Amino acid sequence: MNSPSPYVLWLDDPSAPESKLLGGKFGSLAQMTEAGFAVPPGFGVTTTAYRHFLKAAGLADRAREVRARAVTADLAEVQALSAEFTTAVGAAPLPADLETAVREAYAELESRTGQAGLPVAVRSSGESEDLAGASFAGQYDTFLWIKGAEEVLQHVRRCWAGMFGAAVLTYRPEGDASITTADHGICVGIQQMVEARAAGVMFTLDPVTGDRSKVVIEGCWGLGEGVVSGGITPSRYVVDKVTFEILRREVAVQETQFRFDPAISAVGLVPVEADRREMTCLEDVHIDALARLAKRIEQHRGAPQDIEWAVSESGDVHVLQVRPETVWSRRAATQVIGERKSAVDHVLARFAGVGLTQRAGSPQS
Amino acid sequence: MTLTSSNDPADSSAAAAGRFISPFAVETPAGAEGWESMYPYYALLSEERRELDDGKFWFFDGMHNPEPLYPFDTIMTENWWVAASQMSTRVWPVPPAGGIDHRIINGYLYISPNAVTDPVEIGRRAELFGVRAGHYFQNWDEIYDQWVTKATDCIDRLKAIQFAPLPDTEPESSVFEHRGLYSSYQLLTTYGELLNNLFEMGSYHFEMLNLGYGAYLTFREFCQAAFPGISDQTIASMVSGIDILLFRPDDEVRGLAKLAVELDLAELILPENTPEATLTAIAGHGNGAKWLAAFEVAKDPWFWFSTGAGYTHSDRAWIDDLRLPFTAMRGYIQGLQNGEDIRRPLDAILAERVRVTDEYRSYLPTEDDRDSFDGLVELARKVFPFVENHNFYIEHWHHSVFWSKVRELGDVFVAHNFLDDREDIFYLHRNEIYSALYDLNIGWATGTEARGETYWRPEVERRRRIRDVLKQWAPQPALGVPPEFITEPLTVMLWGITQETVQEWLGAGGEDGGDGELRGVAASAGKATGRARVITDPEQLHEVEDGDILVCRITAPSWAPVFSRLSAAVSDVGGIMAHTAIVCREYGLPAVVGTGFATVTIRTGQLIEVDGNRGTVRILEENAQ
Repeated sequence: MNSPSPYVLWLDDPSAPESKLLGGKFGSLAQMTEAGFAVPPGFGVTTTAYRHFLKAAGLADRAREVRARAVTADLAEVQALSAEFTTAVGAAPLPADLETAVREAYAELESRTGQAGLPVAVRSSGESEDLAGASFAGQYDTFLWIKGAEEVLQHVRRCWAGMFGAAVLTYRPEGDASITTADHGICVGIQQMVEARAAGVMFTLDPVTGDRSKVVIEGCWGLGEGVVSGGITPSRYVVDKVTFEILRREVAVQETQFRFDPAISAVGLVPVEADRREMTCLEDVHIDALARLAKRIEQHRGAPQDIEWAVSESGDVHVLQVRPETVWSRRAATQVIGERKSAVDHVLARFAGVGLTQRAGSPQS
Repeated sequence: MTLTSSNDPADSSAAAAGRFISPFAVETPAGAEGWESMYPYYALLSEERRELDDGKFWFFDGMHNPEPLYPFDTIMTENWWVAASQMSTRVWPVPPAGGIDHRIINGYLYISPNAVTDPVEIGRRAELFGVRAGHYFQNWDEIYDQWVTKATDCIDRLKAIQFAPLPDTEPESSVFEHRGLYSSYQLLTTYGELLNNLFEMGSYHFEMLNLGYGAYLTFREFCQAAFPGISDQTIASMVSGIDILLFRPDDEVRGLAKLAVELDLAELILPENTPEATLTAIAGHGNGAKWLAAFEVAKDPWFWFSTGAGYTHSDRAWIDDLRLPFTAMRGYIQGLQNGEDIRRPLDAILAERVRVTDEYRSYLPTEDDRDSFDGLVELARKVFPFVENHNFYIEHWHHSVFWSKVRELGDVFVAHNFLDDREDIFYLHRNEIYSALYDLNIGWATGTEARGETYWRPEVERRRRIRDVLKQWAPQPALGVPPEFITEPLTVMLWGITQETVQEWLGAGGEDGGDGELRGVAASAGKATGRARVITDPEQLHEVEDGDILVCRITAPSWAPVFSRLSAAVSDVGGIMAHTAIVCREYGLPAVVGTGFATVTIRTGQLIEVDGNRGTVRILEENAQ
């Protein structure tokens, strides 16, 4: 690599954790990799590569225009802009040096994992993702079970085009359009697929109450896409983050799962094995391992996180994505006690029938 | 055990009406007619109080009295009927809580907490309560020290009490010391002293208890609001002491096991011989004397450790039945021989307590919350030594000595030809014993045959037959009309009775809900599958085999030696602060308590699954093996 700013950067490259070139999502995974967490191996097609492509294709100026117009345009117009630009991205030639770099990296990933035609996940990782308050959750693309360099290149291009999807162009967290109009770049992450027995998301706090003493895990049989997209009702597990007691198990009946379907040579919705439909997708040992993993990640990153994970059939736990939790972290804390008083006064009031907390609820529930 | 249709805990029509069957609708089982004559008139249902008795909520106190009461043993329940209630009504008083009423139904104790609902009255009581209870909280440690002094003094005086048959002729000292008082007077007054001593300790029992529970409840409520779903055992682990007295008997056994190994006596203890044979063998060994001396020191007071809740004389203490401590000792000796460290890891437990407390604190949202948490943890830790240790002083030590003294008095009746067996004294109510003693004095004084020599034997036989019938009857967990709110702190903390429990009972109707699942309080985390061993009498404890799941009405801390053989435990009754829960946490045994119906639903030998995380018990195989 003679370029000072590479087109490809490996997750385990010493410069990766500090690099801006991997975008938010993949940059976090590089940090997780460095910290020794079980992140599937892979590399990013960097933001430099993305900009190089736009410039070489003569699309860079048009990209800025599209973004600026999307702010004031109505939805129909945004959709038209999006369609036109996406087609342009799809048709433009790839610079040869960039194409070679991606092909070589994929070949190296094949050799590292010892598997020719290695199935990989191809995901967008935007520069804007880690901006305060902007999770961009579900806005960017993910393509699963992509095999061979040709397919990988094609899906890298689709991720780039996805930057100009109507949903991304109109994303306005709290009405703020500046995030959309800014000229943020995108990295495309290429990672070995985990053949998940079960997968899903977990939070290092209770997303419903904001209670930080919990890890809440949502998971389903198969790949986690159904949980992330909301298409599959996940089983839910609540774990005490201090003692790792499993406090609740709400097992959902699951008829279908996302898995690689040989019939279509792609990931699709297939029936869950009959004996698994009513069974928990996570055994207690998996729940325990995930909760401990979540706590370590939160400690490492110094704030509440939400985490995508997968458990392989052999029981190994993998980190697929980490993101700062964005709802409760920005909300003003709700105090537990109603009125500040001494412990004895709290107890005396309790005997007199006055609850000590803000929330009127039964202490028994 | 079967239930007759009219005795279903909540028949369908009553359950539909949101109430349990009337206490008056409970039928006397055939053969137990006349059971009322064993108990005092004021403890029975009566037509004259029908309106009151019928409209109240009565729940079965199986925690203290799993079996039909022996007439004498009502002294315990009668004691706390007054002693616990007066604290709430007359001493503090507790603003929204009244006393706890008692009724004996088919020999079983049912209790009913009274609530105060008038806001003006609650306000008046709150003012008094703030000053009086505040004084106790502010001076807790000092008052607890005084309490220990009073309690041990009371026990010392109890131990000094002696009963002996009346002499043929008064000893010379009676004459030449000019006391003018003789053995007949001595017998009556000593009996009075025995009763007063019980009532004295009974009063101390509740001096601080409700306040201690209240402080703990408040901390618990805070934790439940701040960390919804936090388990009770985790909350308790933040305040529970590591050096509580209930662990001492077991610690003493560990110490004796270690000494036996050091003195080369292990091979004499390991064979499963009777304790007497084992002790004889040890006495014959060169190092035996040294070990026996240590054994005697450990026994008093630590083997005054009841195998039950201590509320009935049939809860024998270790000191009466050494099989339990010797069973435990064998386990520890084997552990030592396998190179295990059998000491409780006190430093690790304490370090874990600090870690857990600090971490929860760090998850609180505001500074005021952290301040409140700190204050409430500190207060809960301050009251907890009393809350946990009072059990040893009272239920174990004092009550066990008390029962042994009553047996001494039983010997007096045997010597004077009133009874065949010292144990038969428990078929007499304490007030009847006073009469019988007077009768005995008359016979002794006059030299004619006392009426009691022919009166009591057939009466005891009649009562024994009735009680045996009642023992086969299954008491309903609750009767009458449940209240809208349950505010009495003891009800919630000790008996684990909450709105949810009541709804569960109303819904369950004595069955397992048809899905083979019983629900209760998750008392200790973990999950286990095994064969059920239903124990309704501590005497059956020796039947327990490795891997069994204990199913009982209530467990006692002193059952600990068999706990090491169990894979889980299930009880009908008990809440988070029940005696067992304290020790169960230590043993790390999955446990579900307060299921209401486990001992009537589950049969010995059935394969069951206990989920101590969710508080459920499932019968996996109907057929017992």
